[in-house]
Amino acid sequence: MYYLGVDVGSVSTDIVLLDKSFSVVEELYLKTRGKPIQVIQEGFKILKSKYDDKQITAVGVTGSGRNITSFLIGADAVKNEITAHATAALNIDKEVSTIIEIGGQDSKIIILREGIVLDFAMNTVCAAGTGSFLDRQAERLEIPIEEFGDYALKSTSPVRIAGRCAVFAESDMIHKQQLGYKQEDIIRGLCEALVRNYLNNVAKGKEIIQKVFFQGGVAANRGMKAAFESALGFEVYIPPHYNMMGAIGAAILSSETVKKGEVTKFRGFNIAQSNVLQSSFECDGCPNRCEVVTLEENGNTIGCFGDRCGKHSSKMTV
Amino acid sequence: MKIGILASLLYYKYQSFINNFFYELGCEIISSGETNKRILDDGVKYCVDEACLPIKVFHGHVYSLRKKSDMIFIPRIMRLHKNEFICPKFCGLPEMIKNSIPDLPPMIQDTLYADSKDGLKNWAFSIGEKITNDKIKIENAFSISLKKQIESKKGIKDKNYKINVALAGHPYNIYDDFLNMNVVKKLNRLNVGVMTEEKLNEEYINRQVLKLYKKPFWTFARYTYGFTSYLAENKLVDGIVYISSFACGIDSVVIELIKDRIGSFPFLILKIDEHTGEAGFDTRIEAFADMLERRKAIEDNISASW
Repeated sequence: MYYLGVDVGSVSTDIVLLDKSFSVVEELYLKTRGKPIQVIQEGFKILKSKYDDKQITAVGVTGSGRNITSFLIGADAVKNEITAHATAALNIDKEVSTIIEIGGQDSKIIILREGIVLDFAMNTVCAAGTGSFLDRQAERLEIPIEEFGDYALKSTSPVRIAGRCAVFAESDMIHKQQLGYKQEDIIRGLCEALVRNYLNNVAKGKEIIQKVFFQGGVAANRGMKAAFESALGFEVYIPPHYNMMGAIGAAILSSETVKKGEVTKFRGFNIAQSNVLQSSFECDGCPNRCEVVTLEENGNTIGCFGDRCGKHSSKMTV
Repeated sequence: MKIGILASLLYYKYQSFINNFFYELGCEIISSGETNKRILDDGVKYCVDEACLPIKVFHGHVYSLRKKSDMIFIPRIMRLHKNEFICPKFCGLPEMIKNSIPDLPPMIQDTLYADSKDGLKNWAFSIGEKITNDKIKIENAFSISLKKQIESKKGIKDKNYKINVALAGHPYNIYDDFLNMNVVKKLNRLNVGVMTEEKLNEEYINRQVLKLYKKPFWTFARYTYGFTSYLAENKLVDGIVYISSFACGIDSVVIELIKDRIGSFPFLILKIDEHTGEAGFDTRIEAFADMLERRKAIEDNISASW
């Protein structure tokens, strides 16, 4: 009896199994690397050796790749990341009032009061102020992103880095580098720039009250936690499965569908072995020229999307 | 004569007038049709980089028509209401187009101050005289098209939805389904009904604006501010969805004014730019719909069960 949760994000794909009381029994953190399908197959291969299809009671998916994933694995709940993250956080602590979530492409603030989402905000079309900003700078400095936070904590006097835009930040950072500032001070400056950017843009006008949860992949960065705490003036909590919260939330949400008496749509771990082909074409039916994606498993089309009119996707009977 | 009409920008507001006027003058109307990927790509290619998305798309519409018509209709619209202006990009639109797109047919670019009926009429006559010498024909075309414009049904007001939102923003962002990724349909699919500013009596809008410390001189600002704040204050909708093009100067002010007025009332800002990937857009809309539903459940005294 397990609930399976999958969060297909821009940077990582997270898979969790929860037991009946919503405790994590298995967690997989895989890099998406732009290939969501292959990564899920990879993850399922690992799970297949330990678990049986029949043990899965319900499946929930979330993340920017949730649609393609729901076709592939058969999902009972397909939910947006806000609802998923809030659900997971509230399951750990009913007192949480603010969630700071920073992922690869998105950063969010979720305001909770008495256990419901009262308000939320996300970054706009631009991905500045998200994990990819740090990723990019880490790559430039040739420091593994995992060690980025530790470098930041070594800093004694952080330098100020322009935080409005990743491109601006990069040029500012290079200039400071060339002037001879220490690497750790620059890195701490970057963390502070990101926090500043987050608080001034994403969280603008939102009342951040305790208790604050900090989750998403960027929460792994200890420098970011420290920067948030010094900016806010109080403690920020990082939940134990901070990088799995979306997947956990999706799994919990899927349990609600089973409560309603539905049988899971799960298609089984065997898709790990399937030959899944993605193809896309530009439909020439009208000037919209939609980029239509089709998903084939062992020669059978299992999913189709991307068309605005529904000409292709409505043919699907999933 | 073939006249090229661009189905873009203020066409969404004044299409009845524009189409009927040229039709009555005996022109063949060549429409650029709905925005599509081609138009977007051409627009981005030919327009200056700093412009907002709707202006870029307008360039694409012009490009698509440039070989198909004898004349292209790109009026310089300065003013729609007394003592107000519209976005400065409209005032310079004919120049932007002329300097960015090669091999254009002649342009009808007469300057319009539409804050008086005389102003509007003079403008219509100066256009009409380029097409015909028959003054009576122009007079007729003007009165017919003005009547049709006034009679035309505009705006959206959905019925039979439990949750409803005010959909705010410039009309060309709200009604161009390609730019806004079919936002109305997406909201409807999530069981959210939509209401737009045309469905609110202008008197209410104007009364709301009086409460500002200074009268806004942008027409778009007055409409969106008055519309959203009135609906929020009187709880006529459950939330506001604001569609705003990236880097819009007017929106940057109006959005702050609205936020200041409505406090914690649910407010979602959707920024649109060249993106055609819909995942990010969907997430925001879905999460907003979820939130409104849960809030409503609490307000209706039904305990939320999650």
